[in-house]
Amino acid sequence: MPETLFSCLHELDLFYARIKNDKKFKKELAFYYNEYAGRPTLLYFAKNLSKNLGMKIYLKREDLLHTGAHKINNSLGQALLAHHMGKKRIIAETGAGQHGVSAATVSRLFGFECDVYMGEEDIRRQRMNVFRMKILGARVIPVKTGSRTLKDACNEAMRDWVTNVRGTYYLIGSTFGSHPYPMIVRDFQSVIGKEARRQILNKEKKLPDYLVACVGGGSNAMGIFYPFYNDKKTKMIGVEAGGINRNLNSASLNFGEPGVLHGAKTYILQDKFGQVKATHSVAAGLDYPGVGPEHSFYKESGRAKYVTVDDKEAIEGFKSLSELEGIIPALESAHAIAYLRKLAKKAKGSLVVVCLSGRGDKDLEIVEGYLNK
Amino acid sequence: MLQNFIRMTIKEKFNELKKQGKKAFIAYIPFGFPTVKATKDIILTLQKAGVDIIELGIPFSDPIADGPVIQEATSIALTRGANTHNLFSLLFSLKKDIKIPIALMTYYNPVFKFGVEKFFNNMVRSGVSGMLTVDLPIDESREYLKNARKLGIETIFFVTPVTPKERAKAVVEASSGFVYYISVTGITGTRDISYVSIAKHLKEIKKMTNLPLCVGFGIHSKKQVEEVQKISDGAIVGSAIVKFIKENSFKKDFLKLLESYIRSLKPN
Repeated sequence: MPETLFSCLHELDLFYARIKNDKKFKKELAFYYNEYAGRPTLLYFAKNLSKNLGMKIYLKREDLLHTGAHKINNSLGQALLAHHMGKKRIIAETGAGQHGVSAATVSRLFGFECDVYMGEEDIRRQRMNVFRMKILGARVIPVKTGSRTLKDACNEAMRDWVTNVRGTYYLIGSTFGSHPYPMIVRDFQSVIGKEARRQILNKEKKLPDYLVACVGGGSNAMGIFYPFYNDKKTKMIGVEAGGINRNLNSASLNFGEPGVLHGAKTYILQDKFGQVKATHSVAAGLDYPGVGPEHSFYKESGRAKYVTVDDKEAIEGFKSLSELEGIIPALESAHAIAYLRKLAKKAKGSLVVVCLSGRGDKDLEIVEGYLNK
Repeated sequence: MLQNFIRMTIKEKFNELKKQGKKAFIAYIPFGFPTVKATKDIILTLQKAGVDIIELGIPFSDPIADGPVIQEATSIALTRGANTHNLFSLLFSLKKDIKIPIALMTYYNPVFKFGVEKFFNNMVRSGVSGMLTVDLPIDESREYLKNARKLGIETIFFVTPVTPKERAKAVVEASSGFVYYISVTGITGTRDISYVSIAKHLKEIKKMTNLPLCVGFGIHSKKQVEEVQKISDGAIVGSAIVKFIKENSFKKDFLKLLESYIRSLKPN
């Protein structure tokens, strides 16, 4: 991290440590989760999908949340932090637009000025989300440098933050970046896993054999994994975006190497000189060359396994959940769904909980285009 | 000993300047812009024009501390093939012709990928003594400093207008060569600001160390250079020079124009 951001990060670290266990803060956050966002979300037993694959599959319905994705859990938490810190302006980076939408949404609630950085390439492929942000009063600032996708939006957001460090709060959308962000985002997203654990014990009287979630920056996955960390018998599988092939993907944990990006040391897709690679995935929200550092730890310690699903398989997953359960998943979440088919080959009869991180309305045009080709 | 390969160190340069009663004029240019080949001539021209220290930027795909001018230049350098290997080839080839100290300015990942120890060894072999790693905070620099100290590499760290007192003390303690004072809360890029406002903070930092204190970011005129040199030990000019290179490198007499431009920025 550039030196200019240090005192800001330190201030946030101290502030968060003080406020996170504060009863009033927790009550306020619970209010927004329950009365505004729509928590707790359902843990749905997907009968048809389960029968089709020969496993017992439960879907954690983050797609049913207000704004249609798990992003709102983190945005509400951080907005509350920013509010208590007295900040007046929020900036955010966004890939698919879901985090941008959630940042714009919470800015309306708390009266912040909101600027969202989005790569030009992403603006083109997620038009509806761009318009949603604008209607929600945010300014969408196109990023025309680099690969013009999520990592470049992060770069611009960081440049803005370095320049406006005193009055602006940077609302990071996933578990990447410099400490304390990966921790803060994980903590706010862990409401997913906490609920799911309670719910599965209630319904099945036992813990799941597998947890499956898609991994881009890693927030929904860490959110569902973390509360099960000590349940050693529960295996965790993170599904990364295999994109088109070995050279054109966003699977940092599978095909990347340790490096430093955006203030975190983690697995990064980079060339032999340490230049960060341009990535690809049909799912804009997974299109990031790095991954949350905690996932790197889970991989190296063996707590979780990380696999890939390519664009084609993800589209199949999108279709199959729609056809079997009448639920249209986000393309990001479709990666997790698609992996189930592979998991079924070796885990017949297992109890599986999948994090359905978002709904797929935003992706209908993309899938249509893909299927027409 | 490896030490013999390093030409004049930054420390030695500042001692020399002090004896002459002069302040430092430091120029930043990105390696490989407009081309790897052109960098050699540009470096020699800067030396000819009387630059005291050259900061050579290593292009990185995600330069989060840089503004549009340097972003664009480093991006072009990357597409035209600038990398860590040809950087060291160039530096090695310049060993005999360069008399002034060179410091490499970089983000951490390219160094980490290359191997920090290997990188520092290459620096020593090419006679480069200074290192500025923009996104490496002192808190994460233990291995880095250990390797640097072993080889005599001068590690320049940053103090900003928002750096708290205790931290500034730790930063200057980790530093060698000089301490880089970033004059604005912001990214690189020319600005029409007065540097008088930072004089007070500079005075406080100066009390913490014997190291020279140099100011950078935003400087683009002789007046600003003079202002800055009055309140510190040196002025660092980056984006303004990069902009000049961008706008003139295709001209036939480019190197002559560059020399005049540099001279026009330096106080008499």
